Amino acid sequence: MAATTTTLRWRVMAASAALRVALVAYGEWQDAHLEVRYTDVDYLVFSDAAASVAAGGSPFARATYRYSPLLAFLLLPNSLLHPAWGKLIFSAADLLVGLFIDTILRLRGVPEKTRIWSVVAWLFNPFTFTIGTRGNCEPIVCAAVLWVLICLMKGQVLQAAFWYGLIVHFRIYPIIYAVPFVIVLGKNYAGPAGRPILTQWSSKQQLQSDKTSENVEEPTSLLASLWIFLSSLITRNTILFGLFSGSMFFGWTGVFFYLYGWDFLNEALLYHLTRTDPRHNFSIYFYHIYLHHQQGFSSIQKLASFLPQLMVQLALILRFSRDLPFCLFLQTVAFVAFNKVMTAQYFVWFFCLLPLILPWTRMKLRWKGLACMLVWMGSQLHWLMWAYLLEFKGRNVFVQLWVAGLVFLAANTFVMIMVIRHHKYTQLFSVSTKSRSKVAAKKE
Amino acid sequence: MAVRIRPCLLAVAFFAAAWVSVFNSCSEKVDNSQKSFNCMPCSRTYVADAYLDALTGQLAQHRDLTEVPETADLCKGLDDDLDVPVLSEVHRQLVGEGSHRRLVYSVKFGNCEDDAVKFLDGYAANLVIIEKLPSGVFADPFELQHFVERKVFLDVAVFGDTNLELPSALSNRSAVEIHFDFKPSTTMDCNLVVELPLHARYPPLDSSGYATVEFGSPDLLLHYRKKDTHPDSCIWVSKNLDAEPVDKAVWRVPCGNGAHAGFVSSLTFISALVCSMSVVLAASLIS
Repeated sequence: MAATTTTLRWRVMAASAALRVALVAYGEWQDAHLEVRYTDVDYLVFSDAAASVAAGGSPFARATYRYSPLLAFLLLPNSLLHPAWGKLIFSAADLLVGLFIDTILRLRGVPEKTRIWSVVAWLFNPFTFTIGTRGNCEPIVCAAVLWVLICLMKGQVLQAAFWYGLIVHFRIYPIIYAVPFVIVLGKNYAGPAGRPILTQWSSKQQLQSDKTSENVEEPTSLLASLWIFLSSLITRNTILFGLFSGSMFFGWTGVFFYLYGWDFLNEALLYHLTRTDPRHNFSIYFYHIYLHHQQGFSSIQKLASFLPQLMVQLALILRFSRDLPFCLFLQTVAFVAFNKVMTAQYFVWFFCLLPLILPWTRMKLRWKGLACMLVWMGSQLHWLMWAYLLEFKGRNVFVQLWVAGLVFLAANTFVMIMVIRHHKYTQLFSVSTKSRSKVAAKKE
Repeated sequence: MAVRIRPCLLAVAFFAAAWVSVFNSCSEKVDNSQKSFNCMPCSRTYVADAYLDALTGQLAQHRDLTEVPETADLCKGLDDDLDVPVLSEVHRQLVGEGSHRRLVYSVKFGNCEDDAVKFLDGYAANLVIIEKLPSGVFADPFELQHFVERKVFLDVAVFGDTNLELPSALSNRSAVEIHFDFKPSTTMDCNLVVELPLHARYPPLDSSGYATVEFGSPDLLLHYRKKDTHPDSCIWVSKNLDAEPVDKAVWRVPCGNGAHAGFVSSLTFISALVCSMSVVLAASLIS
């Protein structure tokens, strides 16, 4: 039985690998023979930057290169070996994400059949297998985030901090996970043996587990409970994690600032923090930005666009951080939906976390699951239709496109609420109050 | 200030001015014929960088560090009897829809066949098109570089503001110089077709909903040099083909309407608030 499922698992991995290799090969053909390229424009930017580094220059000599120089270094073989090297690396990271999803679910005792479906939800998701094969570097970020999660689940705090600091340097958005990481690393992180105890999956999951380790049994006052909560965050693990990941981030940033100066800081860091792109994209803010691009923005407007994002992130963290994968998933969906700029490649950031929550949802594919998928994809297609009319037919449909963006935000909100309502909230790390403690991690 | 000018002094001044202007116009005629020829050493690749600074208000990207020598001196050795191919017809059309279109040039040369072939025996020649792009339109230098790699163009350069992302109001103008090979096979037909892909920037806001971008006339040059010359004495000669003004090319780009600013901004913020509060509520109400 175990051998059959292991064989099935390797068959799934082999099929996904074959699919990706075929797509990379097809991409090379399409680029050479058709007017419309398969390869993403970003990949050409990375390759040019890597070629610039290979020639002894700066990756920022290439206009619109807005990433860490590490990516250019990683793609050096593009000019030395073969231009498709980067795509193969990204596709390999893609497969690694599948492997990590399997590892995480296995550590939590999810049965094999459910695990395979969850892994398939990533490996054969058309949104995701096209990303790596078209030359987008997001699979690397996804793989790193999942690896940080695995390290935390295994009690390897320093390693988690190492990769977390590195990945925040590489792509800033994982910074939103900092607070939930610190919260789970707090007082109830390690079990009696010094390693975290993972709550195992059960088909009859009840909600009592979340109440046992809540700090507040009988809150005396809001201030008192706040104090208890904050003091539970000051532990050896949280301090180690915070200091080491912070050092990693500032260390790498410092090294590249020394090498490439303000070019690096402006393009790779500050650009992402201050980006206001008036060109059309999924975000509801694009038309507002375009209408104000000539006169600039007041502080109130800047604050107003930041407030909904902040409120949602805070609410999700305070309510769900102990169910870590669920919290990370919701935070990412919300971050992307409420952001000032939203492009299709950002969807991969939460697609890699979706398989981690599937075993804990009460939502069946028929019909609620399908409804969520159709609402989300339908509103996206609706937006794409107006965008096509604007960009490729030259029709003034700015208002219609903006409304389509509002509809897409509503769809994202709907999906988030549906997922929240149908999720079996389960803490990732359990505090064993019983005499019998469960095994922390299953052996491979 | 009232000045009393004596009548005879006025007459002298008048005739002097007339003589000076006649002299100037003669000189201009001479200068014009010399201006239609521009010469530069073979070490320099592009024609346009030397004189585009004033137009685009930006430092040219491909400026040579060496001084630009006096063209008159370099052109001294020109063979006046040389039968350079002459332009007979030129058309330019803006083709396509939406924000990504192509300027298609159709260039026909007269006295083709024998003369062109004879000319190309002793000289290597390119057709150089310099298109000074209006504000609101840009060329992607990376896209054009791929054209060179696929050997569609011999060479191409973009001068001025090559930013690919900023809207029109925050950008400056640019110019494109295309070098198209004047090969014997194409000159048999004597009709060269050159396509330049262009992209529209987001225009400044306008209540009409559309911005109109008009193209000026391009400069067409025949860029040639003697084959088999010593690298030190190699000179590129650029002859202005004195093209007739081409048909006007007009591009209508959709733009935002400033009147929308009020309701768009308020509805955007309200929607964001409503959606965020819904998520916060759903998270709080779950037991």
